[in-house]
Amino acid sequence: MELTFAQSFSLIALNAQDSIHLTTAKKAALRCMSAAVILELYLDKQFNVNSEDLTFTKEDLSNPSIDLYQESILKIILGRNDSISDTLSNYLSHVIKLSNKQLKEIERTLADSLKGIDALEEIPNLLGCDLEFKTAGVSIKEYRSNGELYTKITEGLRAEILEDSVMTDEAILMLWLMRESGSIYDIFSKEELKIVADRINQLFEGNSFARQIFSINIHKSIEIAVKNFLNIKKSIMSTQIGTGVNFAFPFFERSQSIFIDTEAMFENKEERLRDVKARLEQYGHTFTVIREGEVPLIKIDNFLYEAIPTAMNYQFPVQGVRLRRYPIY
Amino acid sequence: MSRQRTMEKILSSEYVSIGELVRITGCRYSTLKFYTEEGMLPFDQQEENLTRRFPREKAIQKIEEIQALKKNGLSIPEIKRVLSE
Repeated sequence: MELTFAQSFSLIALNAQDSIHLTTAKKAALRCMSAAVILELYLDKQFNVNSEDLTFTKEDLSNPSIDLYQESILKIILGRNDSISDTLSNYLSHVIKLSNKQLKEIERTLADSLKGIDALEEIPNLLGCDLEFKTAGVSIKEYRSNGELYTKITEGLRAEILEDSVMTDEAILMLWLMRESGSIYDIFSKEELKIVADRINQLFEGNSFARQIFSINIHKSIEIAVKNFLNIKKSIMSTQIGTGVNFAFPFFERSQSIFIDTEAMFENKEERLRDVKARLEQYGHTFTVIREGEVPLIKIDNFLYEAIPTAMNYQFPVQGVRLRRYPIY
Repeated sequence: MSRQRTMEKILSSEYVSIGELVRITGCRYSTLKFYTEEGMLPFDQQEENLTRRFPREKAIQKIEEIQALKKNGLSIPEIKRVLSE
């Protein structure tokens, strides 16, 4: 199965996002997904090009090669106009002004296009496994990308970006979209990000198309502020078994820190892991135990988590395991 | 402009890049890079640009062989020995 450019980026951007609510992180992802659709149309030469201006008319919407998700973006950009003529940079700037309603519409069409080919599904959020959410009966849903496709796309990109060779236009644009949406941190380790930064500088100097693209910013300051705040929090604290404020103050970032109660007190590591696996199975998560032991490493829905034995203090202490996003650096 | 090749084109070409090999096999980039650096995967390197290119059929065959040996519990040095025999 071969996905389009916008579908490939959406698969990365939507993975593990809240599928019901319009969170700040999802807004940033949706803006970039909209930009990916515009770039896909540009790559596929769906615009009429005149010097630097790209033109699109209402009549072009009836072209059978235009997908439903492409149509929804183009209709928003066209608005009440019969045609629009602008530079690529200005087309991309439209995504900053998209309303919540428009972002939801874009999410629906792109998610549906992926669900239709079994590349994306909605599952209960991992947070639903948390003791407090479980006992409160709260259900949260999130997107899970098809693991095999997710690996193929992200690893293919990593290869193209980290390898010292000529990068394709798709990889350049994907790198820019990942920078703008913040998903770059899901794919590259801290060390690799230094290579990526060098790569961006090289592209900026030697590739005119890349220079044009990397000069454009489509993120909203508030969304970036939230993202940067989360990054600062992660860098505050480093312990021998992990990095991040989460480890000391898990309530700060609940989506990356889930407490699973285990059956009995002072359980051994095998029984603890068995209880965690049972809870994950109960809530329909796909997982692989990468490493067993005192602090097992488990890949859950395309992300790595450490299962750290701990206890929560309520009226009486509850023994359990805290699943914490495993930093890939 | 340098466009990404379609899967159809990749599967009909004699040589592929490491990124394309990742897309065909679904293996991790770091895994294939490791196999390459350990001399387990055949590749060509053109002098003027240092890009490695892999003979598609031979490389896929070797990857499948390595994966089968790994499944049988062989370590990397043992796999290297088997491959060189």
